[in-house]
Amino acid sequence: MDINLNDLLRKYKSHPYEDHKIDAPHTGLVFFKVRDGQEVAGPSGQWLQKPGTLLYILERENNPKRMYSAFTGRVAGLRAGLEGSFVQAGEQLLTIQHRLNRDEIIDRILRDVLQVFRAPQRARYFFTPETVTFLEKKTDKGLPIAPGDEIIIMSLMKRDSFLPYEGAPGIIYKVYFQQGDLVEQDSPLFGVCPPEKLPFVQKVIQRIRTEWDD
Amino acid sequence: MDKKRILIANRGEIAIRIMNACKELGLDYAVVYTVQDSKSMHVRKAVEEKGSGAAYRISNYKDPNEIFSVADHAGAHAIHPGYGFFSENFRFARRAALRNRPIIFIGPRWEVIRDLGSKINTKRIAKKLRIPVIPGSDEPLYSEIEAEALAEKLFYKQKKDGIEKPSILVKASAGGGGMGIEEVTHLDTFRQIYRRIQNYAKRQFGDEGVLIEQCMRDYHHLEVQLLCSQHKEIVHFGTRNCTIQSTGRQKRVEAAPGFDPDYTDYPFDARKVLNRMVKYSVQLASKVNYDNVGTWEWIVTRDGQPYLLEVNTRIQVENEVSARISRISKHKTPVNLIKEQIRVAFGERLKYRQKHISFRGTSIELRIVAEDVKRGFAPWCGKITRFYFPEKPWVRLYSQVPQDEPYEIPTEYDPNLALAIIWGRNTEQARERARDFLARADIQGEDSRGEPIVTNLEYLMDRLDDVLKF
Amino acid sequence: MDQNYILDSGKYLSGLQDRIIYLGDVKGGLEWGHLQDLLNEVQKIRRNIFEFQEKELLRQIRNLEDRISFFEARVAEGLTPIEVVNIARSVQRFTLQDILENVYDSFTELGGEGDCNIDPAVLVARATISRRVKNRIYFHQVMVIGHEKGKGEEFRNGGSAKPWGNEKALRYMKVAEAEGIPIHSYIFTPGAYPTEDYPGAAQQIARNLYQMAKLRVPVVAFISEGGSGGAEAIGLADIRLMASRGYYSVISPEGAAAIEGHIKEGEQLPRKLVEHCAEQLKITAQDNLSLKTIDRIVEEPPLGARKEDFAFFRRLRYEIIRATDEVVLKTKSFRAFRVYALKRQAMETENGICEEFRLYINWSLSDSEKARLLENRSRKYRNMGHGYNELRQSVVSRLAQAGDTAKQSYYDIRYGLLRHHSRSVQKILEEVSSEGFIFLKTVTEPMRAAYDFVFPKPETPTRTELSTPVRRSIFVEEWEQYISPLANEDRTVTCPNAEKYGCRDLWVPDLYGEFCGVCPSCGHHFPLEYQWYLENLFDKGSVREFNQHIASTNPLNFHGLDAKLKKAVERTNRHSALITFGAEVHGVKLIVAMLYSNFRSGTVGAAEGEKFVRACDKARTTRRPFLAYIHTTGGIRIHEGTLGVIQMPRCTLAVREYIDSGGLYMVVYDNNSYAGPVASFLGCSPYQVGIRSSRIGFAGPRVIRETTGADVPPDYHSAKNALKRGHIQGIWDRRDFRKNLFEAMMTMGSPHLYYK
Repeated sequence: MDINLNDLLRKYKSHPYEDHKIDAPHTGLVFFKVRDGQEVAGPSGQWLQKPGTLLYILERENNPKRMYSAFTGRVAGLRAGLEGSFVQAGEQLLTIQHRLNRDEIIDRILRDVLQVFRAPQRARYFFTPETVTFLEKKTDKGLPIAPGDEIIIMSLMKRDSFLPYEGAPGIIYKVYFQQGDLVEQDSPLFGVCPPEKLPFVQKVIQRIRTEWDD
Repeated sequence: MDKKRILIANRGEIAIRIMNACKELGLDYAVVYTVQDSKSMHVRKAVEEKGSGAAYRISNYKDPNEIFSVADHAGAHAIHPGYGFFSENFRFARRAALRNRPIIFIGPRWEVIRDLGSKINTKRIAKKLRIPVIPGSDEPLYSEIEAEALAEKLFYKQKKDGIEKPSILVKASAGGGGMGIEEVTHLDTFRQIYRRIQNYAKRQFGDEGVLIEQCMRDYHHLEVQLLCSQHKEIVHFGTRNCTIQSTGRQKRVEAAPGFDPDYTDYPFDARKVLNRMVKYSVQLASKVNYDNVGTWEWIVTRDGQPYLLEVNTRIQVENEVSARISRISKHKTPVNLIKEQIRVAFGERLKYRQKHISFRGTSIELRIVAEDVKRGFAPWCGKITRFYFPEKPWVRLYSQVPQDEPYEIPTEYDPNLALAIIWGRNTEQARERARDFLARADIQGEDSRGEPIVTNLEYLMDRLDDVLKF
Repeated sequence: MDQNYILDSGKYLSGLQDRIIYLGDVKGGLEWGHLQDLLNEVQKIRRNIFEFQEKELLRQIRNLEDRISFFEARVAEGLTPIEVVNIARSVQRFTLQDILENVYDSFTELGGEGDCNIDPAVLVARATISRRVKNRIYFHQVMVIGHEKGKGEEFRNGGSAKPWGNEKALRYMKVAEAEGIPIHSYIFTPGAYPTEDYPGAAQQIARNLYQMAKLRVPVVAFISEGGSGGAEAIGLADIRLMASRGYYSVISPEGAAAIEGHIKEGEQLPRKLVEHCAEQLKITAQDNLSLKTIDRIVEEPPLGARKEDFAFFRRLRYEIIRATDEVVLKTKSFRAFRVYALKRQAMETENGICEEFRLYINWSLSDSEKARLLENRSRKYRNMGHGYNELRQSVVSRLAQAGDTAKQSYYDIRYGLLRHHSRSVQKILEEVSSEGFIFLKTVTEPMRAAYDFVFPKPETPTRTELSTPVRRSIFVEEWEQYISPLANEDRTVTCPNAEKYGCRDLWVPDLYGEFCGVCPSCGHHFPLEYQWYLENLFDKGSVREFNQHIASTNPLNFHGLDAKLKKAVERTNRHSALITFGAEVHGVKLIVAMLYSNFRSGTVGAAEGEKFVRACDKARTTRRPFLAYIHTTGGIRIHEGTLGVIQMPRCTLAVREYIDSGGLYMVVYDNNSYAGPVASFLGCSPYQVGIRSSRIGFAGPRVIRETTGADVPPDYHSAKNALKRGHIQGIWDRRDFRKNLFEAMMTMGSPHLYYK
């Protein structure tokens, strides 16, 4: 395998952060509930049933909606000037600097290791219902896939079309999108691990597990 | 009119046409757009004319909460829904009227939208007025036995009428837009199809009501354009012919008037048929106290029998094809129906009557779409690098696509590129001008794989010969 | 050197140590009376036992024993309810295994060897119990069923029965029934184990109650620790005995304290509050006897019976035989029973019992005796749990009540004799006219409110015909007489599934008006007030309420309840959490019982139980379908203690009699339905349905966390999961309720229903 795990690990160790921009999902009056520099938590609980820190309230049509943090991290770049004012959809409100944990590091490094199947177009993507059923079962085995398999539906211009998988056969090791997400062109949809590489991938994971401390 | 502000709750070419109408009426306006449409001409034009505060970015054109939220913030007095989106949504209109800060909905009052929005209900009202409608059920059926009995009756009627291959359509009553419709050609297969549609309807719309009606073949699709005020004034702007459609029943070429017996022969008395349709349309409008622009959709079969299909309680894409040939006496230019629509929504009187309206020439509308006609009209998306159309006094072009910079077609919406309305003294001239226009149009671009753009220009050219011919 | 005295003393000292620890158990800790010091002393002597001279050792022991006895006497004198609870919970208390060893002559445990058992908390045994009559010994075969708390064994789960344990109990009850032997059930449970895993805590208890209501063998129950629904699962009996130091309660005092004090999860419960609740809940044997929720008390020593209290076991043996005799004799003739009872009374001395029986009574019953047994049981339960007020009735409704009795015979004639005739008439109608069509239409048309609105009926003039466009409120127009008050606000709300399904915010007037409170994109049901159902489910004007005069009260004088009740009455203008009424759906008459949330969270107490039983009986006599619509129920009203608990078997019995008479009993759950009612008269219905987005279960997430230590997923109690587990038979959309109800009445139920 032509991947230098040491370099990758060093890269992440020197800067184990990822910035998440928080935009207003729709129009409305914004009221902040956090300050710059404040530590915030993401959702917690076994089923992530407990929401994260309350970041801000977005009030539209007399509906004050409480917006919670989806990430753990530190608030930065909070646009305090917007407090109490009307914002348009997509207005950036703040950033959360999120420190990557071990599993996320594994996830990021795996993207470099796995054969990633990318979105050919900017479109909405779905797994076929059978695939969803399989993935929901959460077996450890992963879903085997071979070239030509049509397991993804691309929804573009109100039309759905099957997307045949192109690439080496293997098992789907990682899924990068949620059902119905609008995925940008060339963004990863899922990562496939060829069976012969499986031991290597597991070795990579093992190694990060031992070397990375949260 | 005072300086009122109108929020334009739509995109693309209709937003531009509404802006123009507002400008001509001396009204202020604001527009909304989504991030995908940031490059659209409708945003650029609004910012150029009214400043950056006149364009609001929203999450979705289909979210009523966004529209009302912006309307309040922009201090809009009225909302123009354009076509599609909220134009025929009676709940939206109702909310506009009943909220704490009421906003004028530019369209008919919500009760009318609701009552005529249901095809079945329209059919029922029409039947009472003895307006011909397609034979079939006039309320949703929930019982299989009842449905089968009616199906049998419809087959019998067709046989009696000497129809060679009788068939009926089974539709989900809550459906629309061609979804949940199947054809039954033999009574034996009726139950099976009925059940399938019923299940589909239940799954899709939560209501298992089913409609059945005779399946019509060999017909022309005609429309009657009406304009009504809140003061019980009703005028019509003639008829138009929208028979040329894509396989998905999307209109591609329209022409006004609806038939032209001077141009081609019809197997029936075309003028008489058109007059009947207009008369019936006005009759129904008067019955329901219609109070805005509206389109009465009809089909005319080869034997010259018109049947009322439905009423579109909105301004339509093709409104201008009728407007282009209509003139109100003492007015210098053809009528602008969008302007008239806004005026009546604000409660103004028409200030003219039917006798003041005259018709002149033929107009043809061409819908220029990035679609692959050979592949079932599949939409194309990619980047447009050149977008050129000849400028002539007899053509009006509406497009959100800028001509001076590359434009990425948003994948979220239909790839409609432009609308061209061409006028001629008579049908021959209009047809030849349309030919000339299409021949000189030039659209270039490529998709993400570097393949060149596909449009329907050639298709439109091919279909020009069919215009208005039965 | 003789070391025997040391061995004996060692044993004795360990006994003393146990007594101190037991005292500590009772007092809730060793702080009281410096018990810890005393214990230390005993332990010190035990450690240094070889250092002592015999005499000195005995002196020390005697001294210690005196002091312990002194303490014991003091504790026994002023036992508080919470201390009684402590006694019942103590590890040193006798368990079912001790009873099997000491009360019965021989026994064979069925379906269990220690922890090798489907549920070690529930013990079932075939046992033999003997009596001496004039020096002859007679043996009786019985089925013993009960909870085993174990002697500290973890796997016994403290006698907390899992659903499959209760299922096992039921299975062997049926065996006993088949074999015709009496059942002795022993209740030693803090409550049922709150899991929804199949067959489900609530559903299984309901099934047990439903079967026990008409079990054709004598059942005698003995309560040591009677924890609410868990106790009822095996507790529906012909005679209910209770240990004098046992407790029988609707909820643990700690649970009550958490509710009453609004104590947050994980916070320390104030001890005083727990003690207060234990007192208020009226949980002791004496309390229960005066509430008539038990029949007799079995005396224990002042501080409660422990494992080796052989005198107590002798007494228990006597009491259990006597109770069984009585049940059997009551089925024979009242006179025989009287004679027996008088004789027994004469033979019992003031403080003792007589182990000699003059008679041998055969415990097997003939068919007619079995029928009488069931009648007696029915009467017994119907006479229990009467803790409600009857408000003064108007003359009219009193007349109506008198009419009820006359109705039975009327309906018998109307629908029994004439039924055959009326059926053939209907058939002719269907054949000669298109009546059949009309009939079909009514069956299949969806609920009026939701759809007619969009498609106005042709008969009624449409609004478009109005010559002048008068603008009235939409709500008045669309809903004619009923508008959800929730709809009158210009604001939007977010669907709870918005994140998952991308539902848009909903405009409140749309949501609560036209949408019937249903999110149009994901189908989530927002809660609606119960009045909505009254207005939209039944034919207009057909709702006729009855028994409004039966009012909830405060039978235990629970502190603070009066004020709460008053508030509930003021808010709802009603007197109980249950509304019972007759109504029609497409002309078919039915009886409905509706538990609604606004009155004490739809909890069930004596008034609700009584109204339910009466509604059930009314449905039986009029041969109408019976619908229990549960807008919300929070369980049994804890403030009514075991008077509330007893409504579980009581109402289940009424349901059983209704169903056995050929009725159609349907239960529809909405919003939240938990605990006692689900575990009895609701859960026993063969047709249970959840309204979409409702939650159904035994215990809420908090109680589950606190008793099992495990968290449950947020959708644990969802209707969907209840359906998956087989607890309900379907999920209905609120907008289809009327249609589905009518369909159900047409297609389900026996020909005994009046319209069939």
